[in-house]
Amino acid sequence: MHTLSFSLTLEGVVRIHDGVLCLAKFSEVVSLEARKDKLILTALNSSKSAYASFSLDKTVFFEKYNFNASQAKSQQSTEDTGARFTCQLYNKALLSVFKGRLGDVRDKDTAVERCECNIQDQPDKTECRLIVKMLCRHGVTKTYKLTYESVEVMHALFNKSAAKNTWTIGASTLRSFAEYFGTKTEQLDISSEGGRATFTSYTEKIMNGRDVLKQPLQTSITVDSLDFEDFKVEDQLHIGISVKDFKAIVTHAETLKASITALYSFPTRPMQLSYHEHGMQCEFTLMTIGDYRGNSVTPAPAAVRQGSAAPAERATSRQSTVQTAVQPKTTTMPPPSQSLSRSFTREPQSQRTQRPSPPPPKASLDPQSLFLPADEDDDRIWGERIYDNEQDTLGWDASANNDPILGGRRSDQESSSRLPPYPAWQEDPNSRIAPTQKIAEIRGLFGD
Amino acid sequence: MRFKASIRNIHTFTRLTASLSLLGKDVWLQLNNEQLRFTVVPEQGSQVWAVLAIDTIFETYTIQSAVENNTINLRIPLASLHRALRSALTASSASIRLTKKDNIPLLSLTIITNNLNSSRPPTSITTTTLNSDNAPFPVDDAYNNNESLGDPNPGFFPHDRETTITQDIPVMVLAAATVASIHEPQCPQPDVHIMLPSLLQLKAISERFTKLALSTSTSATNRGRASDALSSQSRLTLSANAHGVLRIGVETPSLKIESRWEGLTNPELDPEQVEGGEEGVRGHASTRMKEREGDEAWSVVRVEGRDWGRVLGVGRLGGRVIACFCHEHALILYVYLSGDDTESVLTYYIASYSA
Repeated sequence: MHTLSFSLTLEGVVRIHDGVLCLAKFSEVVSLEARKDKLILTALNSSKSAYASFSLDKTVFFEKYNFNASQAKSQQSTEDTGARFTCQLYNKALLSVFKGRLGDVRDKDTAVERCECNIQDQPDKTECRLIVKMLCRHGVTKTYKLTYESVEVMHALFNKSAAKNTWTIGASTLRSFAEYFGTKTEQLDISSEGGRATFTSYTEKIMNGRDVLKQPLQTSITVDSLDFEDFKVEDQLHIGISVKDFKAIVTHAETLKASITALYSFPTRPMQLSYHEHGMQCEFTLMTIGDYRGNSVTPAPAAVRQGSAAPAERATSRQSTVQTAVQPKTTTMPPPSQSLSRSFTREPQSQRTQRPSPPPPKASLDPQSLFLPADEDDDRIWGERIYDNEQDTLGWDASANNDPILGGRRSDQESSSRLPPYPAWQEDPNSRIAPTQKIAEIRGLFGD
Repeated sequence: MRFKASIRNIHTFTRLTASLSLLGKDVWLQLNNEQLRFTVVPEQGSQVWAVLAIDTIFETYTIQSAVENNTINLRIPLASLHRALRSALTASSASIRLTKKDNIPLLSLTIITNNLNSSRPPTSITTTTLNSDNAPFPVDDAYNNNESLGDPNPGFFPHDRETTITQDIPVMVLAAATVASIHEPQCPQPDVHIMLPSLLQLKAISERFTKLALSTSTSATNRGRASDALSSQSRLTLSANAHGVLRIGVETPSLKIESRWEGLTNPELDPEQVEGGEEGVRGHASTRMKEREGDEAWSVVRVEGRDWGRVLGVGRLGGRVIACFCHEHALILYVYLSGDDTESVLTYYIASYSA
């Protein structure tokens, strides 16, 4: 008897993949929490300033879902939250299991049709594993066994009642905004004034001389509040989050074609971004930066800058009420204390966690194709060729079905159909020199 | 010091910055009353000296400075400029101006778009009905289209819903004395002028040759050597004669390949452009070259394959390209923009390596 077993359709597998990919932007581990009615995947970043959670609904998201509460020997089975099973896995491990399924969708022969997962959690058995079975066409089954670490899972709390600022907008719109942001910018400031909302991506660095030119692009996007589905935000309130988190969220939300709702109170307090689609409740709690001026007419940035005493006190008291009132069984995410003293305008860079940005996408141009369609105006054609990163060089075509001149490394029909015909070669396939050497030897001769 | 202009041809501008950014990090842009000069002089590799008519890119162009001819010299990071311009590709209008923020000079690009995908019906809209007499904007076609899409708000102008994107590019203002020391390279009289074939073809073939040269020589020299070693291994030999033939070849210890184009045009020199008029043309190196035969008829240059590939990125501008061969010395490319009958021309200087 399994502690937890569930099965997914192909669609669910793709959704899990997209979700795990998004969680990878926050942390290298994924926390998994199973409950009677849902499965929750979460990630908390190392500086505890960003938290992501995907809550997958038992009936909508899964084909079958069975959580055996009595099997869950977990210590947390208490009266109010119900039985839980929690564990932690490496994101990479999960991603490598759920990755590649996307590619298979195109290749109908080995496409995944269903996925069955179960968790064996018995202390008396040697195998405590998450077992994922990918059931493919033609009766092929791929089984993966992942080890997990049994840990207590932390969840961020968010006090919705205090968050009086809210807006909702289509993810694709926000995604298009993110396209405009400079590649190395770090902060995103969101503000509104006179019925227009502004998203500004910037990097706070003081530079002189020639370094000025290394300062990344500062981008402001001003959009009418009517482009939002809902927009209730205090005028002239500035609130800052990380561009990287923002990009990760909107990229994922766009895969679900969802509308994102933001909820926040004031800077230095968490902001929640959420969307719900296809039985997937996605919530992100992000710490914010900025000067809070409140509702009072006189701005009081000095109070925030000088010492964190007043706001900290306010924050802690609020935090404690939340803790006791809402969910006594979950651990709260403490806000990073230094963020309270952060000022919007002069933020010491050393306090920011430096997280590496994802590598730039590689050019997908077929390097073997000699002639290209003339109408394409594209960096893939006119940009610089990066010779160092190219995987393939001279190869030997042993398959004997492809165009003999240009080699058979091309697998897709598309690119070969682009090539102009070589009638002389194609008419007489025997004129080709037969491969008399092993492929391995050829590679050795020409490098790899 | 003031500079302000609206961008007339965003595609040309973007393709220009894309081509330039392959060669160097920063561009020196000189603006004045008459023309725009974009110059990229990298520490290593080929240089570009581009002169563009103002109309090629801008309209409603305002420039003002204390220097003669209202000249402004700017040093602009190409990556930022290019990225900023790319965000204007779908814009309904875009303008650029020189400004200052926190004492840092900026080129601020303001982009206005109307094509936000607002497919959902607006829900909580407060309708502002405007008296048509007082309407600030004429009811144009765009407005009618908006209505036909089922916008439930009569009197609601599409202008109200535009999205504004501003991209601030940090720049450096260069003093006249600083730029006075930058000189365009001097070359001897070219031996051969030839119109290049399609750069798309040329680039694809050059890159294949470069790759072959790199991959064969890296395995030969136990791979992973310093980059200067690489540059000597990926040299392409370009040669042309006065009879419409261009050759491009690569030679490594293990292979030798050459591609050959025939029937290309050798443009005639215009006596009015040559020093000394008719007499000057008669004595010009390229005229003498026409009479030579055999190996002597070829003007040869050796270029570094990757640098050459970057130069050929200019093909995206889609213009005519005339290559001028200075035997064993340099290759000069004149790139004329397509569909542009102004004086705009990009000049590439590519130094030849010795054999």
